[in-house]
Amino acid sequence: MYEKILVATMGEYMDPIIEHTLDIIQERETEVIGIYVVETSVPFLTPKKVKEMMVTELTAKGEEILDSMKQEFQSPKHYMIKFRGVMREGSPADEIVKVAEDEGVDLIVLGTGKNIVDKRLLGSVSEKVVHSAPCTILLVRTS
Amino acid sequence: MLLMIIALIGVLIIALVIVIKSADVFVDSIVEIGGALGISQIILGVTASAIGTSLPEFGSAVVASLTGSTDLGVGTVIGSNIWNIAGILGISAAVAGVIQTNKAGLTRDWLMTLITGLILLFFMLFGDISWPAAAVMIIAYCFYLWILIKAQKKHSNETSHQDESQEKQLKENSNLEEDLEKKSEERGSKNVSKKTYLYVLLGLAGLIVGCRLLVYSADELGGMFGISDMVMGLFVLAVGTSIPELVVTLSSAMKGLHDLSLGTVLGSNTFNILIGIGIPALLLNVPVDRISLTFDAPVMIFVTLLLMALIKMGKGKLNRWGGIVLMITYMAYAIIRIFILS
Repeated sequence: MYEKILVATMGEYMDPIIEHTLDIIQERETEVIGIYVVETSVPFLTPKKVKEMMVTELTAKGEEILDSMKQEFQSPKHYMIKFRGVMREGSPADEIVKVAEDEGVDLIVLGTGKNIVDKRLLGSVSEKVVHSAPCTILLVRTS
Repeated sequence: MLLMIIALIGVLIIALVIVIKSADVFVDSIVEIGGALGISQIILGVTASAIGTSLPEFGSAVVASLTGSTDLGVGTVIGSNIWNIAGILGISAAVAGVIQTNKAGLTRDWLMTLITGLILLFFMLFGDISWPAAAVMIIAYCFYLWILIKAQKKHSNETSHQDESQEKQLKENSNLEEDLEKKSEERGSKNVSKKTYLYVLLGLAGLIVGCRLLVYSADELGGMFGISDMVMGLFVLAVGTSIPELVVTLSSAMKGLHDLSLGTVLGSNTFNILIGIGIPALLLNVPVDRISLTFDAPVMIFVTLLLMALIKMGKGKLNRWGGIVLMITYMAYAIIRIFILS
């Protein structure tokens, strides 16, 4: 049913997200695109050098995350999966939707599980994606 | 009178923006010039991040001391340190939900912050802080900087080994090869334009003018409301000049960059005392206010200890409740200091 799946994670709750994705794929040939978005926005008056340092650290973190996703999805057990990692810079929700549109994916998988306080204080990427996604979404409850 | 107060508050806000932006431009340009002169990127990176966010406090402390408002300078430094931990880390942990810690980095930076506080308290016991104390403080900061650079070198060696093996694996990917070529081209360009030197001068001028305006407006406002220089420094200038620490700590905690979050605050606290008081004390005797010795400095050490206790209670993390406890502590300190002890 789903031939091209976009799996988004910021590094948290990666195991349940991967587990649910694999459960959907089962034995079918599927293309999986893993996405990590380096959030580049910083508040006014943030020193330029610190902003550069943040982007460098987040990029390194993203590479690590995409690498471990690759290991999970491309293990001999899951030979039918073709995995590709994509790293973008910008607003996570916007970039996830943009990549989903550009790649013409059938399904977006992402985690959700923030409590109401965290949602109010930090915002929710999954809520924003839900409002503008071009395809079906699987929200994996992570807590 | 009302117009004058509004104008002074306006000057204070504009001066703060000038100081923070000038510090940014100054550090940025110095790092660029340093890189072109062949100074290691590690040394530049560590120094820039340690000094970058603390230049406004340092500038204000120096300008305040040189213009005869030493209380304002000492107040800014001690007030910043209390605000950095109890206010900024409190707000950041409460908003982000959690700030995780790296045991080695935390132990090193926290211990240095605590030792720094104790060094200050020790010298305060002898009355004015003069040049021998200043020399000890500046040497202690150089030692800390050396430890930081050593730790960063070790970290860079480890990551460069990892990068090499990753590059080998991924070289099949043509896009990555292009990226790597681009990066090596960027590394190769080491020319510094005249503009960079101009930015250093502009940054420095902005810092001096901005700090002077900041100290002037705080001094005048304090005089109008009958608030002492010490209290103006402890709360108005301390919170104002700590805006860079607030934005960096809060945004890095929200992005999950926990080491940067905690490191910014602890590194800034060490710099504020050892250099923010050390340099002015090298130039002139810095007088010690009695309440600073008996209340402000002990509170500064208390919040440093409280931070570690909360992290231990949170099993290596500063959680939202810990953040709220820190914020309540800051509010209690501010109320006691402003309304009871002044």
